[in-house]
Parts: sequence; C-alpha cells; structure tokens
Amino acid sequence: MEAKNVYKAYRIKGDKKEDTKIVQAVKDVSLQIHKGDIKLIFGPSGSGKSTFLRCMAMLDFPDKGEIYLGDQCLTKPGVDLNKARARIGFVFQHIYLFRHLTALGNVELALRQVLKLPKEEARKRALAALAEVKITDCCSKYPSQMSGGQAQRVGIARAIARNPDIILLDEPTSALDPELTGEVIDTLRDLAKEGTTMLIVSHEMPFAKEVAEEMIFYDQGTILETGPPSLFFNAPNTDRAKQFMTRIINRTTR
Amino acid sequence: MDVWQQFIFLVEGVPLTLSISILSFLVGIAIGLPLAFIRVYEKEISFVVDAYEKIWRGIPEIVLMLLLYFGLGPYFPMPFNNAFFVAAFVLGLRSGANQSQIYRGAIRGVGDEQMIAGTSVGLSKWSAIWHIMVPQVFTFSTPGLGSEYALLIKDSAYVYVIGIFEIMSRSIQLKAMPPGDVITPFILAAIIYIAMTFPIAFSLDRWGNRRKKKIGL
Repeated sequence: MEAKNVYKAYRIKGDKKEDTKIVQAVKDVSLQIHKGDIKLIFGPSGSGKSTFLRCMAMLDFPDKGEIYLGDQCLTKPGVDLNKARARIGFVFQHIYLFRHLTALGNVELALRQVLKLPKEEARKRALAALAEVKITDCCSKYPSQMSGGQAQRVGIARAIARNPDIILLDEPTSALDPELTGEVIDTLRDLAKEGTTMLIVSHEMPFAKEVAEEMIFYDQGTILETGPPSLFFNAPNTDRAKQFMTRIINRTTR
Repeated sequence: MDVWQQFIFLVEGVPLTLSISILSFLVGIAIGLPLAFIRVYEKEISFVVDAYEKIWRGIPEIVLMLLLYFGLGPYFPMPFNNAFFVAAFVLGLRSGANQSQIYRGAIRGVGDEQMIAGTSVGLSKWSAIWHIMVPQVFTFSTPGLGSEYALLIKDSAYVYVIGIFEIMSRSIQLKAMPPGDVITPFILAAIIYIAMTFPIAFSLDRWGNRRKKKIGL
C-alpha cells in the first residue's frame, strides 16, 4: 500500500467569518508499506496522524495526492471504494463498535454483508477471529457490557476477520485505562508474529521497539523523520524528534 | 340506549380507528425513514425533503381528506373513492413528514462514528444505514414515536368527515339519537381514545429505555 503526496486541509469555522481557520493536517505526505511490514507512526497530538490514516483507508478523502492499494489507485474517480475498504482493516481510537450488535454480530456483519459468506461460514470465521484476539467468552456480550480492552480487541477482530491486506490502527490503546492497554498490546504482538501487515499510530514505545520495522515521526502535517526504532531510541537526527523522544521516554519511565 | 350499550356501540369502532392509525403509522415509517436519511446523508437533494415536510405539516389533514375524497374521488375513483384509503394516505403521508423529523434527530444522536465504522468494514453507504443506523435510530426515537402514534390515534378522529364509521362518527350518531344526550357519548369516546393512546405510548417508551440501557445509547 502506498500514499503519494497526500494533502488534506480542514476548514474550522469560527463564530465570525474572519475566525475561519484552515488547518493543514496532511501536507504532501508519501509513505510505502509492503506486505508483512509493520510501521509505526508517532508524533504530537493534533499533528494530523489520524487524518492521514483515515485518508489511507479512504474514510476521509485526500484533497490532493494518490492512495494505492496494490496497484489499484483508490483516489481515481469511479473506483469501487467499498470493495477497496473491504480489503483494509481499520481500528479506531474510540473503538466504535456497532452498539446494537453483540461481539459476534460486530465481527460477523461484514463477513455476511460485504463478503456475502453463507451463515455458517461467516460464523466460523467470526469465531476464529474472536479466538485470535482471545475473547471468545465475550461473544454474546454487547459493547456496553464489555471493558474498554475487551471492546478494542473485538474491534481488532472485526478488522482482521476479513483477512484484509493491511490493518490500519489509529491509536488503538490511547483511549483505554493504562491497566487495559496491556491486553490490547499483547493482541497486537500476536498479530505481528503472524506477519500481519500493519500501520499503527501509537505512542506505546516499548511495543514499538519490539515489533516495528520502521518508525515514522510525524509533526505538523508532515513526516519529519523515518528510521528503525534504534535510530529514535538512540539519536534521532531532527531536533523535534529528539525533544519528543526525551519527553515521551521520561513520561513512561516516571 | 343506556350507557353500557352506548359504550359497546363505540367500542365497535375501535378496530377501524386502530387499523387506520396503525396503517398510517406504518406508511409514516416507510416514508419518514428514507426521508430522514436522505436529509442527512444526501445533501444535494435534501431540499426535496424540506419541501415535503413543510407542505404536509402546513395543511390541515381535514382539508386534504375532503379535497381528495370529495374533490378527486369522482374523477379518480381508483383509489380516491375509497374513504379508508384516503384516510390512511393523508394521515400516513403527514406522519411521514413528522417521523422524518423524529428520525433526523435520532440519526444525529446515534452519531456519525457508527456510519464511519460501518464504511470502514466495506459496507456501502445505504447498506451501513440499513444494518447499523436503522436499528439504533429506532431505539433512539421511541419517545418521539410514542407521541407520534398517540397523535395518529387522535387525528384518526377526523376521518368522520369522509364517512368512516369509527369511534368519532359513532359518537356523533349517538348524539343525534333521542333523547339527544350530548355529554355521555363524547365522554365515553374520550375514555376510549385515552385507553388506546396511553398504553401504547407508555410501553413503547419503556421498551425503548430498556433497549437503550442495553446498548448504551
């Protein structure tokens, strides 16, 4: 999957006309991710990481630039985006499970309605996905009856059940209690071991060090620096990255 | 006729009142639901929805019933010469305008995130609306739907003007009978109407609250 010179701006309306601000969330960002890669985007909040990730999944439409999934260009007019999105798994920061469906229903829905699998086959695959995130005991629970960690694991199961080509994860642990992040991280670690292609926005540094092949430092709408975790943990090249790393490492060790 | 006989005579009109109100409620769902989603998710044609709502909410249904039944009925006997059809048609289309507004509020209450999550798994817009939004929108709108249903029961009283022999027509007929008691028939009618509106609105509200708790809305 590849993003080429993606650009996306938001208009934030103020009370008065002159208060309207244009926020450039993604400025000319390019990124390539190959099968089996695990890349991790990190950077200050509000820098546009989530917007960029949403553009990759075409949940937000880039103003300029191209998104490729395999050799198919998703930003061309007339592309069947629903088909493309079916090949991309997306995990949300605030989880967004379907509230009216049980865990099983959440995972099954796309298998039935998008992949059009027969009932039994869909059930089998949904159960397999839930087993993969080790949450089969929650099958018949509704999202409101789960803990945040359980819900996010169901969110991951929902994303992987279709066997997508890539999974995009937008800060999968940052809305959870610190106690609950562990179980989600463990799940992601398992996925990493299986060679799942993942692009993760996250600030879980120990996890990043362990699984990421490449880390991407994202600030003010652009990629400032890319490199293996060792680069960032030892001596990043840019001052901004240096600053950010010191701050984040101090925070986690304190 | 003694009071009890009058009461029975009026109760015999209940099936007609109920079938008109239930039918028009269903017509209202079939119209209001798509209109609400068009209004929220198809911005280019949302003005059509606005116009529809303004027109149906702006004309008294009694005017429409008289116009369709007596005005158009002779020229288009199919379907306007059928009083039952005209009643359900007018009340249903008006209810569609009301329900569209109820659902619109509910769509916003359910939230756009549910739609985004739906499209993220590969569902098309309308398929996400059907599988994800509609079930939650119904739960969310139960209080509004309860009062809309009560409104339809009450408004079904207007159909006496086109000669449907339901509760209202019957009480008017009782009034005209000797000895010309004008109080009892209408008090009885009022009691029957409240007996029909209250339990339904109440149980719909309760069901909705229970379901809302379950899905954390």
